[in-house]
Amino acid sequence: MSASAKEIEQLIGKEYKQGFVTELETDTFPPGLDEEVIHKLWKIKNEPEFMLEYRLKAFRHWQTMKSPEWAFVKFEPIDYQAVSYYSAPKRKEDGPKSLDEVDPQILEAYKKLGIPLDEQERLAGVAVDAVFDSVSVATTFKSKLKEAGVIFCPISEALREYPELVQQYLGSVVPTGDNYFAALNSAVFTDGSFVYIPKGVRCPMELSTYFRINAANTGQFERTLIIADEGSHVSYLEGCTAPMRDENQLHAAVVELIALENAEIKYSTVQNWYPGDKEGKGGIYNFVTKRADCRGDNSKVSWTQVETGSAITWKYPSCVLTGNNSIGEFYSVALTNNYQQADTGTKMIHIGKNTRSTIISKGISAGHAQNTYRGLVKVLKGAENARNYTQCDSLLVGDKCGAHTFPYVEVKQPSAQVEHEATTSKISEDQLFFCQQRGLSAEDAVSMIVNGFCKEVFKELPMEFAVEAQALLGLSLEGSVG
Amino acid sequence: MTTQTASRYTAEYSKIETTLPGGSLPWLRALRSDALKQFSGCGFPSLREEEWRYTNVSGIEKNLFEPRLEPSDNQIDKDWLENYRLADCWQIVLVDGYYSAEFSVLAGLPENVTIKSLKESLEAGDGQIEPYLGKAVGIDEHSFVAFNTAWFTDGAYIRIPAKTVLDKPVQLLHVVTDPNRLAATRNLVIAESMAQAQVIETYVGVDQAYLSAAVTEVFVEPNADLTMIKLQCESEKAYHFGGTYVKQARDARFNHHNFAFGSLLARSDIHSDLSHGSECHLNGLYLGVKRQHLDNHTRINHLEPYGISRELYKGVLDGRARGVFQGRVVVAEDAQKTDSEMNNRNLLLSNDAEADTKPQLEIYADDVKCAHGVTVGQLDEKSVFYLQSRCVDEETARNMLTFAFANEMVTKITQKSLHDLVLAEVLKRFPQQGIMQDWL
Repeated sequence: MSASAKEIEQLIGKEYKQGFVTELETDTFPPGLDEEVIHKLWKIKNEPEFMLEYRLKAFRHWQTMKSPEWAFVKFEPIDYQAVSYYSAPKRKEDGPKSLDEVDPQILEAYKKLGIPLDEQERLAGVAVDAVFDSVSVATTFKSKLKEAGVIFCPISEALREYPELVQQYLGSVVPTGDNYFAALNSAVFTDGSFVYIPKGVRCPMELSTYFRINAANTGQFERTLIIADEGSHVSYLEGCTAPMRDENQLHAAVVELIALENAEIKYSTVQNWYPGDKEGKGGIYNFVTKRADCRGDNSKVSWTQVETGSAITWKYPSCVLTGNNSIGEFYSVALTNNYQQADTGTKMIHIGKNTRSTIISKGISAGHAQNTYRGLVKVLKGAENARNYTQCDSLLVGDKCGAHTFPYVEVKQPSAQVEHEATTSKISEDQLFFCQQRGLSAEDAVSMIVNGFCKEVFKELPMEFAVEAQALLGLSLEGSVG
Repeated sequence: MTTQTASRYTAEYSKIETTLPGGSLPWLRALRSDALKQFSGCGFPSLREEEWRYTNVSGIEKNLFEPRLEPSDNQIDKDWLENYRLADCWQIVLVDGYYSAEFSVLAGLPENVTIKSLKESLEAGDGQIEPYLGKAVGIDEHSFVAFNTAWFTDGAYIRIPAKTVLDKPVQLLHVVTDPNRLAATRNLVIAESMAQAQVIETYVGVDQAYLSAAVTEVFVEPNADLTMIKLQCESEKAYHFGGTYVKQARDARFNHHNFAFGSLLARSDIHSDLSHGSECHLNGLYLGVKRQHLDNHTRINHLEPYGISRELYKGVLDGRARGVFQGRVVVAEDAQKTDSEMNNRNLLLSNDAEADTKPQLEIYADDVKCAHGVTVGQLDEKSVFYLQSRCVDEETARNMLTFAFANEMVTKITQKSLHDLVLAEVLKRFPQQGIMQDWL
């Protein structure tokens, strides 16, 4: 290996900055899961009647299911009885009405993460819903959004205030029995964000949720539901971090997006859960079900994700293209280092006529990590003139890692056009040499090449996130120049 | 239920057991009994298995295909069979799973070259078989391999000695003559170091439902060069499983051309393990019409550095046909400098046709060049327009382009008699064959 190799290795090993723990008094359920826990959960969240049934149905179904084994990841079986299903910072009475009432320690924690919840601060173009363990602790800019008619609140609040709206859409994209983790989430989800954009409204600011796991031995099960009514437009961002711990923690979320006629939803994720240490100890198991339904004609959903954290990532943000002329997009950068494992990709189900989908996936694998792209493009019989373009590129850094590509293409319509391309390569010595010869350090050169490799995806991210994502990539790669 | 079918077969096994070749060889007896256990344990593959998710073999399970206990004395329509016999080849013919000396043409074969019945060689106590049989594929690969290992009645044993270039290709002709017949054959092809040869497998049968289950194990020793062509023209009511499992030694070259034309349901497995510097080319063409289901499964394992693999499979699907392509390239941790490319192109001609494709890359080494591409679609409208602008009517233009799409794979065949046979089979399956031929 060249001298630069060592430097790339150094580049990959930087520390996880968000690994601190906030000391708080919490209400936490004892570990364990049975119907009683669900009753308790339902009661503590003060939810409408139908939710109890919904949760129990999901729970009963979950009990009949088996943990899936098809993904290209390895982990010890999870003991679901050892996990606590509810943990919330202790609160006085009803919960905070305004930011002044939020526990200053929580505010401090978010400040440390670079997400000032203080509305006057620099993130002034973005409304943030902050989810701390099992509950949403604060939502900013609520009143300003209300003026535009946009509902943006914790889902537990939406269940109390807009039960009909939630009931109509909850579980309509990801049914309770969809898969093992979605069923578990449906039974025990605690909080998450709810967004409703009324007809013809262009959401005046970016909406964002910041998820934080703080308590030990808990699982985080959040649920996000976004409904874009006819002709509306919304851009939504999601970020996540967790403390450094030796045990693995479970995060099983469900995200449902519904785009009605002419509506557009842009969903961006920067996932930076604690990835575990260099020996692969600890870290978050990130088992997420994300699915969008382009229900109306001419609707559009765009997923952008930057996955750098988690010990195991297992997620496939999908689009069901039901409406005619609807568009689904998926842009992904997945970076794995040390002993991280990622099995991620997308599903594009073409049902309506003239539906189009684009998939751009960039996988970077370093250290001992395994990075898998798994995607399905399915064109049903009625999807005349459907069009798909898929491109998956993998970059290998070091000779102990793996990069895998498992696409599935199923076409039942002759007028459909489906293309898939994939390449796997490493950072070439020539490219490195070229940069170094022009005075860049090996570290900068690698960072530059990797950023260039991911550029197609980064340009899809909103400004604030693109900058964060680029920095994150440099950080996660630290110590892996090889 | 898959295991139910398995137990039906297992119950019948005692009948045939004593007649199977190699009963006196302890190693083969052990292998067969392991295979039988494996098969009765899991039955035929089900859709739940990842490698079989697009291919439902319940059609095979509904029938109970019977193996022959001794060579057939059926009258074969010689004129019909003549269509598939390649004049300028050494021929070894297997009828209903047994070697037929009558139809085989082996006179004048160089003395050091072996082309004969596997059964006879086993019974003659040929010690050269044990180190190879069952070594290119294990019975745990999937249950068709286990099934074949337990049931095979005969097969071809081909061995090209070191530094020998075979002057003519070897044709291995599999014929099934009875309805409901099970023809389970096991072939062994060994190209010793620096040998060069061409082997052509041809599968044909009467217009009935039968099951042909063949496993071919291939060993290409250092620096040898082997080309294999598989022409599957089974009856459109028949079921076909054919597995070719290859072990390539250092610097060995292996070329394979797979033409899947016949059968109601056909599955073909081509797996190759590559060593240091070996080269592997896999080409394929599947033409599906009516209710045909054609599944092509390939796997290339790059186990050592400097391997090269190229793969191109094309499919044309009409009627209610379904074409499946599953291709997997695995690059092991030490296989640096691997260079691999895989392509699959599908043309859907009708509203009821379906193409499912699953190209996979599994890479554990960093200094490699690997790519794969897949397309499913229609003819290029611009090309159709171009031809129309040159006074070719639309239908003819489409036929021409479709034919050209398929013909790319046919032109890769250099041997004249085989090329003509494959071309004739392709034209047979095109609706407007008359028009097609005018252009040739």
